[in-house]
Amino acid sequence: MGNQKFDCESCPSIKRTAGLYVHIPFCEAKCRYCGFYSEPIKNHAPQRLVSAIIRELGQYDHIETFQTVYIGGGSPSCLPAEQLLRLIREITSHWPKPEEFTIEVNPGQVNKGIFSQLRTAGVTRISIGAQSFNPDELTFLGRRHSVGDTGRAVEMARQAGFENIGLDLIFAIPHSTLSSWKYSLCSAIDLGVQHISAYALTYEEGTPLQKSVEAGEVAPVDEETDRQMYETTIDELEKAGFKQYEISNFAKPGFECKHNLNYWANKPYIGVGPAAGAYWNGKRTLNISDIKKYIEAIEQGKTVIAESETPDNTQIACETAVLNLRRRCGIILDEFEKQTGFDAMKLFAEPIGRYQNLGLIEATDGRLFLTRDALPIADSVLCDFSTT
Amino acid sequence: MSTELIRNFSIIAHIDHGKSTLADRIMEVTGLVSNREAKAQLLDDMDIERERGITIKASAVTMNYEHAGKTYMLNLIDTPGHVDFHYEVSRALTACEGALLVVDATQGVQAQTVANAYLATESGAELIGVINKVDLPSAQPEITAEEIEHVLGIKKQDCFRISAKTGMGVRELLDAVVTLLPPPPDDGDKPTAALVFDCICDDYRGVICYVRVFAGSLSVKQKIRFMGVARTHLITELGKFTPKMSPVDRLSAGEVGYVIANVRQLSDVTIGDTITDDSKPAEKPLPGYVPPMQMVFSDFYPGNNTDYPNLRLAFEKLALNDASFSFIPQNSPALGFGFRCGFLGLLHMEIVQERLERENNIDVVQTAPTVSYEVLTTDGRTLKIDSPADLPDVTQIEELREPFVRLEVITGTDSIGGIMKLAESRRCKLLKTDYLSQNRVILEYKAPLAEIVYDFYDLLKGVSHGYATMDYEFTGFEVGDLVKINILVNKIQVDALSLIVHRSVAENRGRKMLVRLRKAIPRHQFEIPLQVAIGGKIIARESIKPFRKDVTAKLYGGDVTRKMKVLKRQREGKKRMKNIGSVQIPQEAFMSILDSSD
Ligand SMILES: Nc1nc2c(ncn2[C@@H]2O[C@H](COP(=O)(O)OP(=O)(O)O)[C@@H](O)[C@H]2O)c(=O)[nH]1
Ligand code: SF4
Ligand SMILES: [Mg+2]
Repeated sequence: MGNQKFDCESCPSIKRTAGLYVHIPFCEAKCRYCGFYSEPIKNHAPQRLVSAIIRELGQYDHIETFQTVYIGGGSPSCLPAEQLLRLIREITSHWPKPEEFTIEVNPGQVNKGIFSQLRTAGVTRISIGAQSFNPDELTFLGRRHSVGDTGRAVEMARQAGFENIGLDLIFAIPHSTLSSWKYSLCSAIDLGVQHISAYALTYEEGTPLQKSVEAGEVAPVDEETDRQMYETTIDELEKAGFKQYEISNFAKPGFECKHNLNYWANKPYIGVGPAAGAYWNGKRTLNISDIKKYIEAIEQGKTVIAESETPDNTQIACETAVLNLRRRCGIILDEFEKQTGFDAMKLFAEPIGRYQNLGLIEATDGRLFLTRDALPIADSVLCDFSTT
Repeated sequence: MSTELIRNFSIIAHIDHGKSTLADRIMEVTGLVSNREAKAQLLDDMDIERERGITIKASAVTMNYEHAGKTYMLNLIDTPGHVDFHYEVSRALTACEGALLVVDATQGVQAQTVANAYLATESGAELIGVINKVDLPSAQPEITAEEIEHVLGIKKQDCFRISAKTGMGVRELLDAVVTLLPPPPDDGDKPTAALVFDCICDDYRGVICYVRVFAGSLSVKQKIRFMGVARTHLITELGKFTPKMSPVDRLSAGEVGYVIANVRQLSDVTIGDTITDDSKPAEKPLPGYVPPMQMVFSDFYPGNNTDYPNLRLAFEKLALNDASFSFIPQNSPALGFGFRCGFLGLLHMEIVQERLERENNIDVVQTAPTVSYEVLTTDGRTLKIDSPADLPDVTQIEELREPFVRLEVITGTDSIGGIMKLAESRRCKLLKTDYLSQNRVILEYKAPLAEIVYDFYDLLKGVSHGYATMDYEFTGFEVGDLVKINILVNKIQVDALSLIVHRSVAENRGRKMLVRLRKAIPRHQFEIPLQVAIGGKIIARESIKPFRKDVTAKLYGGDVTRKMKVLKRQREGKKRMKNIGSVQIPQEAFMSILDSSD
């Protein structure tokens, strides 16, 4: 497989600093495969949560700018419109005009009106949870929207003026085939979006789907098919003018998700809302994963941090390497040294040597990156960068 | 002091027949320890001994016992009950005039009962038959007594019936120790001769020798000589185990106790050596023991080559307290630097392994245990081969000899058929069948050690529903039609995966080894060919398909900590593996080649 040449100037992996993530832990109902923290919205009072999140945001008043904002979930789009807009206005009033402001939406929960309101409020990027263009696959996953909803959502977003629209897709769904996946991919391409994330279905601990697999009621797609689906994804999307910039992410040039690039650069970000993670001032923290307890803590002025960890320098270097290597551009060696104080080629000399011999890693032009052959088996390589 | 009031004795038994419990009860009856203290089975010193419920090393304790108005000094020496540790039993018995042979009344005579009784007879110890656990409803003291009479020649009416648990009969048994067992010979006037029957190494005090004084006496500040190693030392402390170490000024003829004499390392003393007075030495040393014989060898390599010095330190530490364990540096082309370790048997190996893991933090990869072979080369030399890797080329071998043992199996008559079949499949030759009682039998075999040392005991337990017991004794090396099986992983021959087997089963075993390895070596990022060669000819091949997909689909901000943990675990999994070329071979793979089951 040929080596991609990287155009450093256009690659936004460099220079990013701080991001803001807001987690909306509500969904209409729980999808069968989902391992995210979210609860059915009908059991909760959305305005109370939004108020709590706004109060948590208040703790970060002193931060001057966020280059990127990302509202994810859960399903932010299941919030009542006025609550969602209240949250967005609160953010933009403190940090006006971030370079990128993304919101995740569920195709079944949107209309023309909301897209225009989002756009006016300052949102610049829409990420749509399409997942599949095969109705039976949507049903299998427990998704509540239809294939038609996805097309309409893209169309409405575009009409509202959005020029940066992304679709999330899932492959290797039980019962799916290479051709059903190709169909989903082509449908996504045909919708003319700028960004596609393609994730292999994972069986998260404790989900109903995982239990069905354990009970032998559902058979995961075999490894070889999974591999072919992934290879096809890369081939088809590149043919259609998308550039793979991370293991599961593809974009038309210039439409890479800056917020996520910030994660893979291992740069700091704030996270607010229940179960949100943050990496700030050298600390990795995770908020309480319980809506009620989160709100109570905020209302009583207590901390919402449930877990906290301060990685040491070597750990930071390892985390940075693992995250960087998920990017097709890989580790930019001098950036890495500036950021972590370590020479990656020395720190990871043993696995680098071994994987170069196996053709799984390459080092050229001041970068160290996974080869195309390594992508489908990246974890088996990356684990050797997880400690020194 | 006259020896008339001293009795030195051991308790010998098949494992679990109640040796330790009886020792505790005896200590309680003699007032040495309270009931509460006795609970933890005081004589089992090491953690591993307690956890596994087996005694590994002999230990000694001194007690006083009143009988017929006189106070006797009783020295009890505890012994191990496992086949691997026979030599320890012999050592302990040499220091005694008598032994209590304990047999569980619910189990009857078992393989180690017989083996230990033989050892006692060889050492000239007087035996008292003890039928234990008579408190249990399933006890069959009459049949047990008949079995004892039949195989061991102790009259059934002379056996004592006791319950070590409740203490029933223990006092009568102690009276018998005093009245039936002979006192030690009264050789106080002769030149000093004390037998070292065990040693331990204490971090602070150095080597502590367990001794039995046969003649003369030992006293503090005396200048003594170890006759075997010809070294002299000054005694700094003498004492007895009560069971704590209690210092005394003097140990007289017939007594048992300990000697501390500024000996730094275990390697500076030989168990079985004689201590004498430096200025008035004994004419000749006491009859020593046969040195322990290492039956099983296995190579240990550090998972990470930089751990080699640490592994050496760890072994040095282990050897300090285990004179029967040996380690010699090795350099394998495939596995790098490591050590060839010698053990008394498989249990001994497991115990050392366990201590290595528990007391050190080193990832080790261990090769499949092997027995020693003897090679007569074409140029007339005799070589001892402790690893298939060291076997010379076939063209240089005149004769290849393997170790044989006399194997005794005791079982119920209903499983004779299954056991005969098993033994036959392992090249064992039946020498003798003897009925212990109506439905229990002793089968005596001549067996190749290699065939019975690994999994034979488990299989035996299987076919006999847990009832059969076995014991064996090395008899000598004999020529065998043996061949070496070589394994190639990714085209590289891996010495550590070689095996020496009988020609008749070689092909079959070779194929099985490949199947085992295919399962035990995890899939890699590339395809791995596996080949098996016998006599330079490839007879079978297999391949381990590469994994095709192993990647986390989503990795964003909040997932980092969790994902890093998962990746670290994935990497940890690779650690207990050995890199051979670019293939990582896990510990289990090295062991898997011994599995000959279908
Ligand atoms: N019921 C009963 N159990 C006993 C008796 N003696 C020993 N045991 C039990 O048998 C098991 C093995 O005893 P132990 O003294 O450890 O045997 P050793 O392996 O010979 O030292 C333990 O569970 C003891 O509690 C006895 O007289 N009666
Ligand atoms: S997959 Fe998305 S919509 Fe479905 S439950 Fe999870 S967060 Fe909610
Ligand atoms: Mg015991």
